[in-house]
Amino acid sequence: MRPYIPELLIISLSIFSGCSSDRNNHVAGTSYEIHSISTPDWLTCETGGIDFLPDGRLAACFQRGEVMIYDPETKEWTLFAQGLHDPLGIMVINKSEFLVMQRPELTRVKDTDGDGKADLFETVTDDFGQAGNYHEFNYGPVKDKSGNLFIAISLPSEGGKIMPETRGRMDTNGVSPIQFSVVPYQGWILKITPDGRQIPYAMGFRSQNGLGFDLEENLLVTDNEGDWVGTDKLYHVQEGNFYGHPASLIWKKDWNRGNPYKIPISELDSMRTKAAVLFPHGIMTKSPSQPVCDNTQGKFGPFSGQIFVGEMNSERIIRVMLEKIDGELQGACIPFIDGSGLRKGNNRLAFAPDGSLWVGQTSHGWPGGEGIQRIVFTGKQPMDIYSMNLTTRGFDLTFTQPVDDFAALNPDNYKFQRYYYQYHGKYGSPKMDVQTVAVKDIKIFPDHKKVSLTLDSLKAGYVYQLNVENLKAASGDSLANSFICYTVNKLSK
Amino acid sequence: MDIIQKRLFLLLSILTSILMTSAHQKQGTLTTVSINAVGGLKYDKVRFQVKPGSKVKLIFANKDDMPHNLVITEPGARIEVANAASGLGDNGVELNYVPKHSKVLWSTALLNPGETTSLIFSAPEKEGIYPYVCTYPGHSLVMFGVMYVTNKAIPLLENDPNIPPGNKSSDVTQQNAQHPASHFSEPAPPYTKVPPFLYRAFIPDASPTAIAVRLPQNISYCWDAATCYLRYAWEGEFLDNTEIWKGHFQAYAKVMGTVFFRNNTRFPLYVDKPGNVPTVKFKGYRLVNRYPEFHYTINGIDVYELLKENKEGTGLIRTFRIPKSSRIIWFAFTDEDGVNYTSSVGNPTNGKLELSPGENIQFTIIMTKKRL
Repeated sequence: MRPYIPELLIISLSIFSGCSSDRNNHVAGTSYEIHSISTPDWLTCETGGIDFLPDGRLAACFQRGEVMIYDPETKEWTLFAQGLHDPLGIMVINKSEFLVMQRPELTRVKDTDGDGKADLFETVTDDFGQAGNYHEFNYGPVKDKSGNLFIAISLPSEGGKIMPETRGRMDTNGVSPIQFSVVPYQGWILKITPDGRQIPYAMGFRSQNGLGFDLEENLLVTDNEGDWVGTDKLYHVQEGNFYGHPASLIWKKDWNRGNPYKIPISELDSMRTKAAVLFPHGIMTKSPSQPVCDNTQGKFGPFSGQIFVGEMNSERIIRVMLEKIDGELQGACIPFIDGSGLRKGNNRLAFAPDGSLWVGQTSHGWPGGEGIQRIVFTGKQPMDIYSMNLTTRGFDLTFTQPVDDFAALNPDNYKFQRYYYQYHGKYGSPKMDVQTVAVKDIKIFPDHKKVSLTLDSLKAGYVYQLNVENLKAASGDSLANSFICYTVNKLSK
Repeated sequence: MDIIQKRLFLLLSILTSILMTSAHQKQGTLTTVSINAVGGLKYDKVRFQVKPGSKVKLIFANKDDMPHNLVITEPGARIEVANAASGLGDNGVELNYVPKHSKVLWSTALLNPGETTSLIFSAPEKEGIYPYVCTYPGHSLVMFGVMYVTNKAIPLLENDPNIPPGNKSSDVTQQNAQHPASHFSEPAPPYTKVPPFLYRAFIPDASPTAIAVRLPQNISYCWDAATCYLRYAWEGEFLDNTEIWKGHFQAYAKVMGTVFFRNNTRFPLYVDKPGNVPTVKFKGYRLVNRYPEFHYTINGIDVYELLKENKEGTGLIRTFRIPKSSRIIWFAFTDEDGVNYTSSVGNPTNGKLELSPGENIQFTIIMTKKRL
């Protein structure tokens, strides 16, 4: 039997697809359309990273090692590089230079002779260990305005093994029955300065498959439910902080407490920084991926400045709105696209220069999907919850269109529940202390877009889940998404 | 539990289950079946057979990294039950994702990674093909198997229409051992496949950061980016990545040929005197006519190394460049490496070759397969 290796291309230039034609999902009167991008027949389209060149072409890397460029004008794909090790992130530097996060290294992939093919692969950093476990995924890079790069090293999984020979200093204090850390800096976010220094930046992550910045340059990172992660979440990551999974603590500078799992949970709990937004597992997300900030200044619709987050295991992308309460970011999450022709496996998101949102999908043995799709704003204003903000007495909901006052004034149309998730070494957490919360009072603002809700009680440390029923716009449009969850870490003063 | 405790526990469980099985077999009433949830959304056992009415002990262990359950249904009811489970929505977690459905016969709890449970039940008197399935959302389409309740012979594995695709080409107990399943084969890229080219993957007998390079003349080699040296070379086909490409479980590329060279000296270049093992750093590689030229440093000195096949296809030509060298460099090897060494300058003898600063700006080591 022949081995199935994608062997070299000699002549490779433009590779036309013969497989699937663009399957566009046009629904009359809707605000967003989903277009599927044709990919070459031979390509296993497990998308590890996407980014845009300034000229509007897409650069994408795929988990079997290819870096490819797609021209939306001609709908042609060209192969730029191949043979990389499970690349899960790409950043465009210019039209002939990309940074690619692969398992062994962060690599600068460059075409130096102008033939459109990469010929130079330079190590940007390999200053982290490799144990040889299948779950040892690396994510990023993202860059801040000062030119610092951020990458993420996930924890390997006990479901797998490690190789007899590893790279990096081995420490078995970080071994646990589920996810573990045995070489530096598994479970960390690393910062690489413009002059090439690598700084261990923040720790306590499990499988942090997604990094991004908001417009205020806050670093936002998602993590996946599992041991020590009661539900899926979005962290606001800041230097030196610990985010909850103990395995990575062993790589903290001057760590002298041996096995971090022996530290009492109450102490670990007091050490950790809580997530800015919890995504209730199973109902909001099952496996969140990359956060990307809407910087399109309206080209993508009304949600400028808000965050979109991919979801791997369902046909969904969610939207996150953040606000600062008592000095800390917290906020709410709500489905954005749910079905409507969107595939599963939504792993990577990027805004094109034309303001459309591109989505790269993968499965790689998990319940996902494969391919690339593009979401386009049609110009029709959706009826959706624009924002949910904490007040001293409850929440303000701001809608994208004026509401129908009659429905909006009915307290029975707002079903609130509150609950929390346990912090422990077991996999996930049930919802704890679930209670319904009644709406006591409703006030509609003069613009008819903002509705102020007063709740019976408000308590920090809880997710407030709201299911809105029967509410519609004054225009008659029905509410696009009626299920929203706000994480109250702090109360508004 | 630490690893030793875990192993001990595993050993005890195996012993216990052997003892229990043999004890019950003496009574002739209990059949013990072990099924594990494993990576890639799979049960390691996709079918088993029991006699109608016999007592069955099913031991179910979750060896994967995500939660799984095992639900046995009435014949033909797998999809119906799985759909009912997906309909549970928010209530799914509390119910272990097992729907209250008349066609569910037996079900386990939802097991987190590493957990084990068991079910004891009497097989139906009615002969039939009883499916089992993981009803955790998203898993049921591929993660299932069947319990044959019959005294008769069951279909050959390769012809069994009741098990998931991709399990038919080899015995269920060693699914991953033999053949690349045709299910995972890929269409060939529409370009000419001509070496040289490279591929990075988990490859045996190297660190996790190895680079496999395919050369003309059916020669391939493994160069390690962690240790910065040539690990081994082989003749024959290149690599089979089928297992790795399935994703979501521990897998390695298979070397599809015969290894004719293996480095036995560890790091082959020494600065100033033999035995001075240098500190190395991998800087990357440049493709020169598509051959990778590796760039690394030894004690801070830049070294470039380009490997090509020899014309006869009997060995490798390694060209080293050390443009800014002002030191003596030693190349070290052993007689057990599987090849004969010659060089462009000097004479490699007794496992070493001395290269003066003038000589080591560029030199070539030729490694030719030893004839057996």
